[in-house]
Amino acid sequence: MHSLEPELRALREEGLIDDATAGRALALDRGHVFSMYAELRATLYAGVLLVVAGVGIILARNIDRIGPLAIVLAVALIAVACAVPAVRAKSAGRPLPVAGEYLLLLGVLLVSADLAYAERQFALLGPLWSWHLLLLAVAHAAIAYAFVSPLVLAAALTALAGWFGVGGTPGDLLRVSYSEAEFGARALACALVIAAWRYADRRARPESRFSDVFDHFATNLAFWGVIAWCLEWPWLAAGLPLLAALSYASVRRGLESGREAFLVYGTVYAAIGTCAAVLPFLHGATLSLGFVLIVVCAAATALWRLRRRLREPGP
Amino acid sequence: MSQWRPSPDEERWLAVASELGAAVPHAALAERTGGWRSTGPLARIALFGLGFVAAVLLFGVLGFGSETMLLVAGVIATLAAEWLAVRKRLYASGIEEGLTLAGFLMIGLWIAVEVLPAPDHGDTSLHALVVIAAVGAAGLRRLNAFVTTCAGIGLIYWIGSTVLADVLDAVTDRGMTAFAAGCVLAALALALGAREYRRPAHDRMLDWLVATLPIAAYSQYPRVAALEAAAVASGTGTTRLIVVVVLLALGAVMLTTGLKRRRHAPLWGFLGCVVAIAFELRAAVPVSAETWLIAWGLVALAAGVALDRYLREPRNGLTSVSLKRGEGPLDLLQIAGSALLAHRSAPEAPSAEHGFEGGGGKFGGGGASGRY
Repeated sequence: MHSLEPELRALREEGLIDDATAGRALALDRGHVFSMYAELRATLYAGVLLVVAGVGIILARNIDRIGPLAIVLAVALIAVACAVPAVRAKSAGRPLPVAGEYLLLLGVLLVSADLAYAERQFALLGPLWSWHLLLLAVAHAAIAYAFVSPLVLAAALTALAGWFGVGGTPGDLLRVSYSEAEFGARALACALVIAAWRYADRRARPESRFSDVFDHFATNLAFWGVIAWCLEWPWLAAGLPLLAALSYASVRRGLESGREAFLVYGTVYAAIGTCAAVLPFLHGATLSLGFVLIVVCAAATALWRLRRRLREPGP
Repeated sequence: MSQWRPSPDEERWLAVASELGAAVPHAALAERTGGWRSTGPLARIALFGLGFVAAVLLFGVLGFGSETMLLVAGVIATLAAEWLAVRKRLYASGIEEGLTLAGFLMIGLWIAVEVLPAPDHGDTSLHALVVIAAVGAAGLRRLNAFVTTCAGIGLIYWIGSTVLADVLDAVTDRGMTAFAAGCVLAALALALGAREYRRPAHDRMLDWLVATLPIAAYSQYPRVAALEAAAVASGTGTTRLIVVVVLLALGAVMLTTGLKRRRHAPLWGFLGCVVAIAFELRAAVPVSAETWLIAWGLVALAAGVALDRYLREPRNGLTSVSLKRGEGPLDLLQIAGSALLAHRSAPEAPSAEHGFEGGGGKFGGGGASGRY
């Protein structure tokens, strides 16, 4: 164990921190106040993950034994039941508790799996099946707004990205089956929609809790799109200037808002994009590796310097 | 004042600065921290990765084919890290940590390949130990808890690969020696954590071991690799009972210690024990994979809901409410995790006979396909 009590006391005695700050820091240091928020979230996330995985296997394995309609109805019923705590909190005028939010997320994911299963079994929309993703995005977004849940909003944005043809995880970048240019255009279009949505949300509700989620989705998607463009000539001609502009915007956003995640995006994605653009034109392993080494060193230096300028803690 | 790394006092002031953030004037702490400069958690992770990649690229530039270049690249990376620490006064900034880890690792690999005698009858345990020692030394040099924990987990793997472990496992069950060693190390780290340490980094190193070793030790146990009941049930009844009893005991000690000391690490260790017990009980109650997943998922959700309700109003200082504001790595993980789950459960493209043209949706997740 270690305690920073002597240092905190010294700062208070010297008048460098006020009594309230010192009191709060000392209470945390002594363990008089102890939050189990992280452990709680991990437990709830594991619960959601396991249930969704189990339901997924049931949907895949037990079609013949139970019957598709029964499965669809049962899963829908469970999904509705998951929303009960959130509905109760909302009707009582209380903010959504952590557990209620994760249960709501479970309900939303079960609805997604249920719809996916129904679509596969009954081919409800036929060749227009991908509109299910848009429907899901709209439905999830409505639920997210109704219960003010950033987690459900993340699910909505993932469905929206899926509708645009951009997977929800970085791994999807590695198995692009369109041409890079098409993937890039789709990702950029999706990022633009999300950015516009964020702007509208911020204007309508200045105290919105969703801005962070919008920002992360839009930034990552935009960078994925631009990097995809950097991989293919002649899109490279548009991709490189866009990469520079996006990196600048991301870094500037990070510096203005004091959020280092955007500094990381701005520098690391810029390094990846630069390597993606230049490496195809270099011949020989040593030259290529040397170039990447220079880019990596430049990115590290830039990130370090930018982080020092951030309006954030640190001596 | 040391040139090589912050003194305990300087490190404590760095910890205070990190804890209080903007609440305390930077200038007031600059002198007390000895001019050492640190960075935030996300930038540190990114810089760690960049530093490590840079060192590996350096090896590539010098020539992947030559073992001597391992040593040259390792020494250059290590010297670069030392230069950043001594001249630029970087501490816990990521870049020097990544460079040191890669540098030490390459030097360790060079010793294993070039200095040590060739493996005798395929026994590479001494060579592996040298590499693990190199990782441990890098962690201790930089006071980096993540790296020392990697070395600790590597040590458990190494113990499980020794001839002595093979002999002991023949008497008990496969993986039992490594499992026992992991549990002993976790208990030892927990006991040592009761001491008061001047350096916060030393405390953090023990914390990381306490949090990760239970699950790392259990993962040595081969049954964990399979989710199918038949594979899980392959062990003998006696060893399973011993494993469950050990995990229960360790978990109980972790939980009580975590609550008593008000520390997170033992609570994470306790959660690791619960996961291990859940796997082990799967053999005792042979049910289908989906039933097992849903049952334990519901248990986790029920526990979470109960805990949230119970601690919504603080009890004895314990609360389920977040005490920190702002965006940390865990908040980002939460958003990413939610997106990942949504990705897995969303509709996927139907087979070709449906004549899919669609709006572009290309999800390849689980859901109806059951690819979990």
